[in-house]
Amino acid sequence: MIPATADPARSDQGSAPPPSGAPGKGQGRAASGHRAWFLVLPALIPILLLSVGPLLYGIALAFTDSQAGRTEPTQWIGLLNFQDLLRDTLFWESFRIGLVWAVAVSVPQFLLALGLALLLHQELRFRWLSRALAIVPWAMPEVVVGIMWRLVYHPDAGVLNETLGTHRDWLGSLSTALPAVVVVGIWARLPQVTVTLLAGLSNVPRELHEAAAMDGAGAWRRFRAVTWPAIRPIALAISALSFIWNVNSFALVYVLTGGGPGGRTRLPMLFAYEEAFRYGQFGYAAAMGCVLVAVVSILLAVHLVARLKGDEDA
Amino acid sequence: MRRRTLLAASATGALLSGCAPERRRATGGRITLRFQSLAWQQESVAANKQLVGEWNAAHPDIRVEYVQGSWDGVHDQLLTSFEGGEAPDIIHDATDDFADFAYGGYLADLTDLLPRRLKDEIPPRTWQTATFGGGVHGVPFLQEPRVLIANRALLERARVRIPTAERPWSWAEFEDAAEALTRDGAYGVAWPLKEPVSATLNLSLSTGGKVFHRGRGRGRGRGADGKVTVRFDAADQRVPRVIHDQLGGDRTAARTTLGMGGSDTLPGFFGGKYAMVPLGFSYRQQIVQQAPKGFAWTVLPSPAGPGGDQRQGVSPQTLSIAADSPYQREAARFIDFFLRPPHMVRLALGDWMLPTGRTALRDPALRTRRHGWATGTALAGQLRPAPAQTVRGYPEWKDKVATPALQEYYSGAIGMGELRERLVDDGNLVLARYQR
Amino acid sequence: MRSRITVRRSRPRPRPGAVPRPSPSTTPAAVPRGPAARRRAARTGQYLALLGYLVFLAFPLLWLVSTAFKPPRELASLHPGWLPDHPTLDNFRQAFDEQPLLRSAGNSLIASLAAAVITVVIATPMAYVMARHHRSSLSRAATGWIVVSQAFPFVLVIIPLFLVLKEVRLIDSLGGLIMVYVVWSLPFALWMLAGYARAVPRELEEAAAVDGAGRLRVLISVTMPLLTPGIVATALFAFITAWNEFFFALVLLKSPRKQTMPIILTHFIGTEGVADLGPLAAASLLATLPSLVLFALIQRRITSGTLAGAVKH
Repeated sequence: MIPATADPARSDQGSAPPPSGAPGKGQGRAASGHRAWFLVLPALIPILLLSVGPLLYGIALAFTDSQAGRTEPTQWIGLLNFQDLLRDTLFWESFRIGLVWAVAVSVPQFLLALGLALLLHQELRFRWLSRALAIVPWAMPEVVVGIMWRLVYHPDAGVLNETLGTHRDWLGSLSTALPAVVVVGIWARLPQVTVTLLAGLSNVPRELHEAAAMDGAGAWRRFRAVTWPAIRPIALAISALSFIWNVNSFALVYVLTGGGPGGRTRLPMLFAYEEAFRYGQFGYAAAMGCVLVAVVSILLAVHLVARLKGDEDA
Repeated sequence: MRRRTLLAASATGALLSGCAPERRRATGGRITLRFQSLAWQQESVAANKQLVGEWNAAHPDIRVEYVQGSWDGVHDQLLTSFEGGEAPDIIHDATDDFADFAYGGYLADLTDLLPRRLKDEIPPRTWQTATFGGGVHGVPFLQEPRVLIANRALLERARVRIPTAERPWSWAEFEDAAEALTRDGAYGVAWPLKEPVSATLNLSLSTGGKVFHRGRGRGRGRGADGKVTVRFDAADQRVPRVIHDQLGGDRTAARTTLGMGGSDTLPGFFGGKYAMVPLGFSYRQQIVQQAPKGFAWTVLPSPAGPGGDQRQGVSPQTLSIAADSPYQREAARFIDFFLRPPHMVRLALGDWMLPTGRTALRDPALRTRRHGWATGTALAGQLRPAPAQTVRGYPEWKDKVATPALQEYYSGAIGMGELRERLVDDGNLVLARYQR
Repeated sequence: MRSRITVRRSRPRPRPGAVPRPSPSTTPAAVPRGPAARRRAARTGQYLALLGYLVFLAFPLLWLVSTAFKPPRELASLHPGWLPDHPTLDNFRQAFDEQPLLRSAGNSLIASLAAAVITVVIATPMAYVMARHHRSSLSRAATGWIVVSQAFPFVLVIIPLFLVLKEVRLIDSLGGLIMVYVVWSLPFALWMLAGYARAVPRELEEAAAVDGAGRLRVLISVTMPLLTPGIVATALFAFITAWNEFFFALVLLKSPRKQTMPIILTHFIGTEGVADLGPLAAASLLATLPSLVLFALIQRRITSGTLAGAVKH
């Protein structure tokens, strides 16, 4: 539910809005003045105070032994938290689960969404129904999504066991909990990715398609040669975003399993939340947050570099 | 450097606090105390509310507002309310949950607040469960031993000796009995192991298991300066081994109950699938409510260790007073009223647990053989502070390290060696963070 | 770095807010090729696939609705049916009895409304500046922050925020939560609004200025009316985001009488995960309705707003 990674300053020429005389570059520089600052201030102050400030504060916390409780003063402890983290097998296990979760959700989600978008792009009947359905999970509170799937997975009263004729405790047993949660993760954001890709598909130049068809290209070749290049930027953007969202997801798993059974679904976010707000280890939790940020940033950087390369090759 | 000097945004603090909610109370000489209760069984909620009502009728100047809390997530809820300065005045909790709060300075020291009468009423070993670092931070008022609840028909058919509080089974006898009871598709015992840690630790007390050691500098350099470390030696391993062997070895315990909570085992127990279920004493209430007509059951004491050692760890339920409360004296008066012997009996009956007070424990209503009350009260003298509860960081050790490790050990996924490694190595890492 | 597709595009691009609508000839399958039988087979395959998607998307929803209307006896049945045999509204009544649903809905409403209004009020001027002076260092910094704020896990922000709000006694208060919501929805609001502001033709403003209108007047009488649809869409989106939000509310709100709806919903799941299924489903349905209705209203705008940048990148 957040903007894509593009840069509006760059995108204004070709970007969404108007068919008007687009503003020329560089005009802005002359006009900016004191008034601009006056207009910007109401938004800038909260951003600095409640976003940038806490962020820096959070990073600083990672180097302290800040804990809940008022009996002991907080002290700088240097890298001790990070040293502890290195040896904390539970955290790395949680980290591994987090990566498995993010990949296992993002990849199938993307492929399924691409398939659905291509289908919805066709002139099929019931398309309206699919489109309507596609909105619902997007608009639902994550908590409700979690509750709904708990009802589906319920060992006695759940529809899944009834339909399959099994008697499994899907969310409660060590082997099925993570896969069960992954399915919910895919379901929850499938619509968002689909609709985004669908919007991308509408940009596919139809002349190219027709030309390719004239040349006798098959469906797969047309997809490779025409459709995919056209939607590639948006596909990369949305897949990067959905990966980040999944790394950061919390509410779904909190409601579904609370991290159980035996920590099999304890995503890093859940781990850090518990560390901070159940056990009161604020400094240690902040250190976890920092590690997460670092890893996500590295992955994103790799993604962006790959994207740049791809563009050059093209 | 103190935390607040790091505060980038505190400049706006004064500004913003203008719109912070006013700290309520003290209108026209009347004060209001908030009492967060965790009672959840219908009878006990009723008993709680009734007592609050009686207090309010008698004390118009000190109103007590009943706030319904829930055991589920109470630790997170209390932690953040303490931190945010929004905690209730009177807090219902259990001693194994509030060590971090007591050490954190959130709970008032009750030593000088409570009247003599209440102090004498509760035995010293019970007060010990709520004593942290020299201060008493809660009044322990209800506790429950672990017992074996058994299907009487199956028990009689198997012709095993019926243990009593005076002559309990040894752990070996218990294993034999379970074997004798395992037949015709029924299992001798069903261990509900969804929350295996407190059951394992508390029962281990009978075999001398302690797990947590306040060290004098022995053992790999850890445990110096009175710091607590985890060990998992022969005495600690005895009970886990019994449970493990019953599940995986001679199959006298049902494996399907591994992931179950106590209540989940009841349908199978009623259906004759399990002959015995080790449960908390208060589960009798659910059994009375749910058992089919004509189902005969009985309460047996838990097995005893070497020399008939029947000690068990318990973590009593407690009432505490928030350190932030401006009305600690009034809150203490309410607690004194709330826990008078006849009231304690009512609370105990409502929760199907044992009261901690000596007078209350003598009440005939708790001495009847009906529903196994007598068996439980006979065990009251053997209840000791649970080994873990005064340890800082125990909740985290329990949730993150011990619960999954024990679950995997009992399910057969890991052996004793790895169990020990995880409990000790990962565990000490966690505890060290709290004891810097 | 602009991809070649942008350069090559010859078609007029879709209006803002227009959902992509395929024209028959665009679609690969509609291009005549091969024998009719093969085409029919392909069509059948497509319908089967679509059916698969429909089932996957719809069955949990159907189950939720069905559970909400089932009487207790059917809920406890060992073989639960797909539809309630004797639909009942009892679960809804019971949901209101068990938990303070109305009050939590009120709390959610206050928090979401306030967050939405404050967000657009403070974001619109800045977005306007970003759109008009997009080369200034400020706009660049703001854009950078918008991008970066996406990658940050909110645990890292919530811990310090919690400590800060604690110092100013705004824990367990809707005021504190609203502040957090505003900051949280600002990046997206700025993004959307800047897109809409760019769409307001500069010529209109200049023409008005030539006619002698002051700068402020131009803003109020020319720019604002044109921006209004965008502002409404952004506000609605901020509202939905706040209405659905769980994590911050979980951390910041502690007393039951102040908690928002998503938090109260989790209270239906009691100890040992035993839940009263009927009322739980009923309450969940009620909590979903507002965001669903609003979302249906603005979904098209959200799609185009989100994609404004990405598509043409």
